Amino acid sequence: MQTDWSVVLTFLPQLLAGAKITVQITIIGLLGGIFLGTIAGLMRAYGGRILNAIAFTYIELIRGTPIVVQVMFLYFAMPVLTGLRVDPMAAAVVAIVVNAGAYIAEIVRGAFLSISKGLSEAGLALGLPQWKVLVYILGPLAFRRLIPPLGNQFIVSLKDTSLFIVIGVGELTRTGQEIMASNFRAVEIWTAVAVIYLILTGSMTVALRVIEKRMRIL
Amino acid sequence: MSIIEFRKTSKHFGDLKVLDGVDLSIDTGEVVVLIGPSGSGKSTLLRCINGLEQITSGDLVMDGISVRGGKKQLRLIRQEAGMVFQQFNLFPQMTALQNVAFGPRKVRGLTRTEAEAQARALLEKVGLKDKAGHYPSELSGGQQQRVAIARALAVRPKVMLFDEPTSALDPELKQEVLNVMRQLAQEGMTMVVVTHEMAFAKQVGTRLIFMEHGKISVDGHPREVIENPPSDRLKDFLQHVE
Repeated sequence: MQTDWSVVLTFLPQLLAGAKITVQITIIGLLGGIFLGTIAGLMRAYGGRILNAIAFTYIELIRGTPIVVQVMFLYFAMPVLTGLRVDPMAAAVVAIVVNAGAYIAEIVRGAFLSISKGLSEAGLALGLPQWKVLVYILGPLAFRRLIPPLGNQFIVSLKDTSLFIVIGVGELTRTGQEIMASNFRAVEIWTAVAVIYLILTGSMTVALRVIEKRMRIL
Repeated sequence: MSIIEFRKTSKHFGDLKVLDGVDLSIDTGEVVVLIGPSGSGKSTLLRCINGLEQITSGDLVMDGISVRGGKKQLRLIRQEAGMVFQQFNLFPQMTALQNVAFGPRKVRGLTRTEAEAQARALLEKVGLKDKAGHYPSELSGGQQQRVAIARALAVRPKVMLFDEPTSALDPELKQEVLNVMRQLAQEGMTMVVVTHEMAFAKQVGTRLIFMEHGKISVDGHPREVIENPPSDRLKDFLQHVE
């Protein structure tokens, strides 16, 4: 078998363009996911019966179905139901937001509930309203405990973007697939794609380590 | 003048009556020591005063405000009643100074400078001036509890509630906390203290209440009650804690 690694260099600009789209979907998707997940997680932890039930239904619906089915639904079924054309990039971002949000909700809930009840009582006993106890006392403590499981979710979501090949978003895996179809350089191209993913996830890991080191877990 | 008034106050946990129709009036300046076997309702009685436990029936009025008046009223009560916990419950992400300055900033609306100046004075009062920049994890249990007392005082309460403040401490660390409490009592602070420290009760207390099965069974002057227990149950209890 002959390998020719120079093809990697030839197609590097294309691969990097794909990687850029992967990063875009991941960052926007995770920002939305953190927002949605925090709200859903707090609804689960502190909401009344109704808020809790809404958040619970959302989380179970998403965790119980594959992300490929979710994005297919968004891209192919939603236009049928609503009559609106959905852009593949938008479908991809929304899929990450909704999917990561469900997992992050459980992470947020766990982090908040793991903090001793005594601290919340100490805040309330000073005369603080519940929301200030959440924002100023429990929030900063929960945030530190969130970092390790959140890092895990970031990596999972980044890799999940590769599944959007099914709706034709030009992210990294799709780009690799297209280059492959034109020159059949499987070993070189898929190695290059894997290395780029490793660099992306590796940078995330390093960034999270730095944050974790700066914040002692209390 | 009474500052805390229990009126036929009951607290149930399901079928369990933790407080059973308690009538009790506490005056300004009193140092009330609550004792009783575990499960007798003494901690619950204390925690009902600032609404950390909700009462089931009857009423409980603190400084003219009923605990049943709703969230806003409850927050007012809590600002008037500082609480010290068995497990200290200091905020671990904040230094001693930040812990003490936190309440005044977030509850009373003081600026950071004002709150920290006041916090420094309070830390000095509890003998921890030089520990202002330390985190709770860097302090001994006795020091943590003294910071917790300063934190509660910082909101300028009219009443201080102590829930077994020395039970989690080694014998030699108990004294430093009890000394701060003694000083506070001498300054005329109204205090309600759940404790097993009988020497403290005798020396500092102005009133001793013995609880059994969610009811007040003995209510009298500490020295008299300890030296001549009016019930066998109390006599028995005192023998066990001494």
